[in-house]
Amino acid sequence: MELSRRDFLKASAAAAAFAAAGAPLLGSNNADAAEAGIKWGKAPCRFCGTGCGVLVGVKDGKIVATKGDPAAPVNRGLNCIKGYFLSKILYGKDRLTKPLIRKGNKMVEASWDEAMTLIASKFKEAIEKHGPDSVAMYGSGQWTVFEGYAASKLFKGGIGTNNIEPNARLCMASAVTGFMTTFASDEPMGVYDDLDLGDTYFLWGANMAECHPVLFSRIIDNRLKNPAVKIIDFGTRRTRTSQMADQYIKFTPQTDLALLNAIAYVIVKEKLYDEQFIKKHVVFKKGKTNIGNGLEDKFKFTDDPKPMTFDEYKEFLSTYTPEYVEKLSGVPAAKIIELARLYADKKRKVNSLWTMGFNQHTRGTWVNNLVYNVHLLTGKICRPGENPLSLTGQPSACGTAREVGTFTHRLPADMVVTNPDHRAMAAKIWGIDPKKIPEKPTYNAVEMFRALDRGDIKVVWTQVTNPFQSLPNLNRFRKGARKGDGRFVIVSDMYPTKSTEVADVILPSASWVEKEGVFGNAERRTQQWFKMVEAPGEARSDLAQTIELAKRLGHGNLFPYKYIEKEMWEEYRQFTGGGKDLAPYEAYVKSRGLRWPVVNGKETLYRYAEGYDPYVKAGEGIKFYKNKKDDGRAVIWARPYEAAAEAPDKTYPFWLCTGRVLEHWHTGTMTGRVPELKRAYPSAVCEMHPDDAKKLGIKNLQKVKISSRRGTITLPVDLNGRGKAEKGNIFVAFFDETKLINELCIDAYCPISGEPDYKKCAVKVEKA
Amino acid sequence: MPVSSVVVQCLEGTADSVAVRISAFTGVEIQGVLPDGQIVAIIEADDIQNEVDLVSKLHDVIDVVTVRLAYHNFEDM
Ligand code: SF4
Repeated sequence: MELSRRDFLKASAAAAAFAAAGAPLLGSNNADAAEAGIKWGKAPCRFCGTGCGVLVGVKDGKIVATKGDPAAPVNRGLNCIKGYFLSKILYGKDRLTKPLIRKGNKMVEASWDEAMTLIASKFKEAIEKHGPDSVAMYGSGQWTVFEGYAASKLFKGGIGTNNIEPNARLCMASAVTGFMTTFASDEPMGVYDDLDLGDTYFLWGANMAECHPVLFSRIIDNRLKNPAVKIIDFGTRRTRTSQMADQYIKFTPQTDLALLNAIAYVIVKEKLYDEQFIKKHVVFKKGKTNIGNGLEDKFKFTDDPKPMTFDEYKEFLSTYTPEYVEKLSGVPAAKIIELARLYADKKRKVNSLWTMGFNQHTRGTWVNNLVYNVHLLTGKICRPGENPLSLTGQPSACGTAREVGTFTHRLPADMVVTNPDHRAMAAKIWGIDPKKIPEKPTYNAVEMFRALDRGDIKVVWTQVTNPFQSLPNLNRFRKGARKGDGRFVIVSDMYPTKSTEVADVILPSASWVEKEGVFGNAERRTQQWFKMVEAPGEARSDLAQTIELAKRLGHGNLFPYKYIEKEMWEEYRQFTGGGKDLAPYEAYVKSRGLRWPVVNGKETLYRYAEGYDPYVKAGEGIKFYKNKKDDGRAVIWARPYEAAAEAPDKTYPFWLCTGRVLEHWHTGTMTGRVPELKRAYPSAVCEMHPDDAKKLGIKNLQKVKISSRRGTITLPVDLNGRGKAEKGNIFVAFFDETKLINELCIDAYCPISGEPDYKKCAVKVEKA
Repeated sequence: MPVSSVVVQCLEGTADSVAVRISAFTGVEIQGVLPDGQIVAIIEADDIQNEVDLVSKLHDVIDVVTVRLAYHNFEDM
């Protein structure tokens, strides 16, 4: 019996793999037999912003199998190695199943009623004594759309504070401000189809092979079919991606700003630009310079955009000769010229892709602007197979944090609290007095935790995220959380984390298919799933938790729904016309996701492009219609190179860069629970260049002490790892909760986006 | 005992040699090498730990671009 069941399972496994690989089905009879008793349901993957489709197999109330969803256009039946562990993340031994309340140094089990009574009393007390801006919610790009929407509605529309932020501030905020300043609308014009249709891929600080493996495979598939395909990997560290690329271009950290200007310089000097496109679709602007790094508490910045002419822009570029930029970046001038010509080659379909290398940058907004400049100069945008595409790290950084707008300054669908018309519209949909929504944004994520440290914020509730591991300059914030004096920290999570360690109340959360949800991925694809299994013990969804607090604070009227998810969706959808349109709930139930704007039941592949985007009229060709103030044109920005907030010097001679690895996801709360993932990549190591190690007399796997001006950790050196640091640089992944590398990171941030720079600070390395 | 299937994508022209190398791993059963450089394999091991160690090892084999998972069944775990 056992053997034959096993044979069936193997047949099933083989059939799924052959089908996904595009080969004819084999052994389908046996495969069908193996499926008996398993009920399959669709869901987007829980991990990254790629948004792969997964089929989840449930038997006797437990998940027993998963498959890449063959019907999912994103991944066509195949998941990456992290997808391997999707179902197991729900079944870790230390899963939180009961609310816990701090009694002295101990966390003691409590009923939901006790926990929520305590939480509500702390909220009421703080609001009464210190006003609504003394309480805050810190959420996540892993919130479902409903969870983010409910939190935003409660805090902005009920409590009356803009103290709500998502952890997406730490990863996507610069992409948002890049889109907003260039196109006046968040999120990309292109889609993943560009990975199949283009022939030239510039990767900027994106280790796609490890962090977006499914998308990287699509480019590699494309290259296998089309030998003209070229992959150029710009980086400060050699990765698996560099190995697979046609060219790897190493550059000095922060000089991406100069390199992109030099590429624009060559394109302009050699007249490789698309003059007609520029005349019709572009305006030129400059903003303030020397804009600071957000290092002081309560840092504030407002840009002051000024129009300029194409000639003035050319004048601005004149500084960035390839020779000058070679000195800054280390990239040879001839190489810069060659790559600029490649960008501009009329026969080539060019794409730029980036993630945290651009976004986690003290000039993150600028560097996003600069990459758009190159596409706008050459007119390689809004066309099938040629687009700039910002990739995301979390499954609903786009759908929830950005589209629902769970940032301090935002409302749904690109609307902002500073605009009275937007507040009025939100108030109308929410059925509240428009005066309830405060007109001033309060704190970005870093400032929110600085405010907690200072005591300006008393009560903070974090959901689906782990700030007390993931914030930069972590020591300050971990200490701040436990300073007492009325401070009260609530953490909702599925497992104990570095954040639950500093919590006063811990609430056990349901995750992924233990609840109904919607996520939105990096190509504007909105994906829905149903609850498939019960959450363990007394764990509840974050949505239920937020609504429970609302009721106890007297704001239960904001959530009058019977079928919560569906009714909330239809309400949320009222925000989204005019190019951000979402479809009725049922459309998402039926499909494997739809890319907005969805108008008359049809999704949109290319935004701003005639024939694709229903908001572009016949004869207009391309129209950046969201940017009304510039007459439907996009903005080319003159943004200079400015130095990093902290650069290596005599005392701290190395650049430190942090990031992710294939087997782990973010702070490792979920992947760290899976023993086999731990084994493949058990703990953080310090990647270092062999020459640097030699100079310091350090041997492979020897322990070293790494120190910055903010903290010190000890780690083994890895000279033969998957990633190879360039000379003068070290790299440490941030998943390991026993080695908090973020204690060393600087809390400098982009003044426009508020996103911290986790990729650059100065450290020294010594033998431990 | 868990069963899974993976699709191993190789650099151009290397699939056959990769297939030879990875078939030497105990617990990896090659089901086919496709003309476009993809290998379909079944992963089997006594427990999930060993199974996943294998997948990670496959990832690190030279000329392997990605290892993607098609199907994973762990009903008797
Ligand atoms: S690429 Fe991202 S979304 Fe796709 S399976 Fe891997 S972790 Fe999940």
